[in-house]
Amino acid sequence: MTLLALDSVARGYPMRRGWLGRAVMVHAVDGVSLEVSAGRTLGVVGESGCGKSTTGRLALGLETPDSGTVTFAGAAMPPPGGAAWRALRAQMQLVPQDPLGALDRRLPVARQIAEPLVIHGIGDAGERADRVATLLASVGLRPDQAARHPHALSGGQRQRAVLARALAAGPALLVCDEPVSALDVSIQAQIVNLLTDLQESHGIAMLFISHDLRVVRQVSHEVAVMYLGRVIERGDPDAIFTDPAHPYSRALVAAIPGGSKPHAILAGDPPNPADRPAGCAFHPRCPVVVARCRAETPTLDVRADGRAVACHLARG
Amino acid sequence: MGLTVVPSASPLIRISGLSVAFNGTPALLGIDLTVGAGETLGLVGESGCGKSVTWLAVLGLLPNSATVGGSATLDGRELVGAPASVLERVRGGRVAMIFQDPASALNPVHRIGRQVSEAVTLHRGLSGGAATAEALRLLDEVGIPDARNRMTAYPHEMSGGQNQRVMIATALAGRPELLIADEPTTALDVTIQAQILDLLRRLQREHGMALVLISHDLGVVAEMCERVCVMYAGRIVEEAQAGALFAGPRHPYTTGLMGALPPLTGPRLRLTAIPGRVPEPWAMPPGCAFAPRCPKRIEACDVSVPNLRGEDRRVACIRAAA
Repeated sequence: MTLLALDSVARGYPMRRGWLGRAVMVHAVDGVSLEVSAGRTLGVVGESGCGKSTTGRLALGLETPDSGTVTFAGAAMPPPGGAAWRALRAQMQLVPQDPLGALDRRLPVARQIAEPLVIHGIGDAGERADRVATLLASVGLRPDQAARHPHALSGGQRQRAVLARALAAGPALLVCDEPVSALDVSIQAQIVNLLTDLQESHGIAMLFISHDLRVVRQVSHEVAVMYLGRVIERGDPDAIFTDPAHPYSRALVAAIPGGSKPHAILAGDPPNPADRPAGCAFHPRCPVVVARCRAETPTLDVRADGRAVACHLARG
Repeated sequence: MGLTVVPSASPLIRISGLSVAFNGTPALLGIDLTVGAGETLGLVGESGCGKSVTWLAVLGLLPNSATVGGSATLDGRELVGAPASVLERVRGGRVAMIFQDPASALNPVHRIGRQVSEAVTLHRGLSGGAATAEALRLLDEVGIPDARNRMTAYPHEMSGGQNQRVMIATALAGRPELLIADEPTTALDVTIQAQILDLLRRLQREHGMALVLISHDLGVVAEMCERVCVMYAGRIVEEAQAGALFAGPRHPYTTGLMGALPPLTGPRLRLTAIPGRVPEPWAMPPGCAFAPRCPKRIEACDVSVPNLRGEDRRVACIRAAA
């Protein structure tokens, strides 16, 4: 069952170049269509500026698309700030990269974990205290740690507290934006395991945004690769990681340090979203570019093997 | 893969019993290691394990609140406690260091050409046109496209990868025999990381300089280094040739780090995360610092700190075969 659907969503921001420059539109997300099924994880990978975080914010309704639609549980996303939108917060939550920035430094974490319950009017004081205790246990925090302020916890413990708060109102969807990128590898593994456990026990769907392909492979049921505001490949994680079809996906997989694929080093800098190349946006860096790529933008088409690829040369 | 280097009789850098404490709190608890000429050594470990502090201490870059003990010699010459005049000649001269965040290491209000030529003037005594020409050659060498025109750019006009190339050019200005790269690609996108690692590999080959790569990323270290030291809570816990280490780690912490890394192929099993967290420096366990998190812990582990045993391959664990 589809829980979240993005249909051709686009979002741009005006950006001024230089001090007195004219404002130009930067298309952060440019016609993205994605679906997340209930209880499943869609991994979104890509480099800085590919629009993956904006996609997450559009999915949560924190941003309104310039065009296209976002549908959650069969209903259109209400405009941000209204009563309907606020009620929907109980259903969908963000897990950000920086837990210290997401927590209030002045409040003990237990108070913050209880906040969604207060906001959505769930239970009385006693029930809330019980619920907080259950949440703490489910994310692996001790009761004495709940009384601490965020700065008295380690990075991993803070991320656990953020998760407990995100789970408080019983959401159906978590949008995780680089949730383990700031953590050390041993702690990263703890949180990755915790996320998969929580998904199993609570049946939560996840939109998992990360630049780390290893982590994305570990948690995802389906993967979408983004480049310059568009999805350029989508499919089964194992299929994409063993046999990436788009030349950009191939370069990404080959660049994973310690991977088995030989290095085909991609030349050039990551592209500037304010200066999108004509035709296929990847063509200036593409090792197999042909004339058609410079003129004609490839569409994301589903191949016979079920993989969706936006490349003139990888139709399959 | 790195070069095969015949180990010479005397290493370029020899660190013995190096310790650092900040305001009485220990951060580094006695490090012994050597770096040979032209060698690539990887230092891996998590935040706070002392991998960066080791080299900041060697180069005299720690604040006054730090107490440094032990010894670090460059070609037999002591650097710990050496006068500023000696350290200033070493830093950026025979030993150069680059950092994770090039944008903050570069001066935002100076053009990049000027920053590189300053380093050339300082370390090579060139001035005027000669320094500018050398700066241009260095920017070319590190792969800044259209370097002649980019000389007048400011750091904010360059991408993160380009700025790291500029930092590397600055580091090369003094023709170092050893380059210490502290998480040089951690802030970069993966395709740009691949470019920078490739550049470091090429420069090392062409200049024959030694490279110490400090990284939290086992994959990066596996790919770049001949020899690897794994650090935990201020000590080296395992040291081995990279191939041997990744094929069969002996310290339970090294095994744990590798198990925590999601694989790229095969079935997606639950990760074997290391439970708990690194001990706080003011609350170190009495024996092995890893014992509280270790699956192989026995009573003896809590009695005393295990020594780093072995010759070519060293491991600090009483449960491991050296």
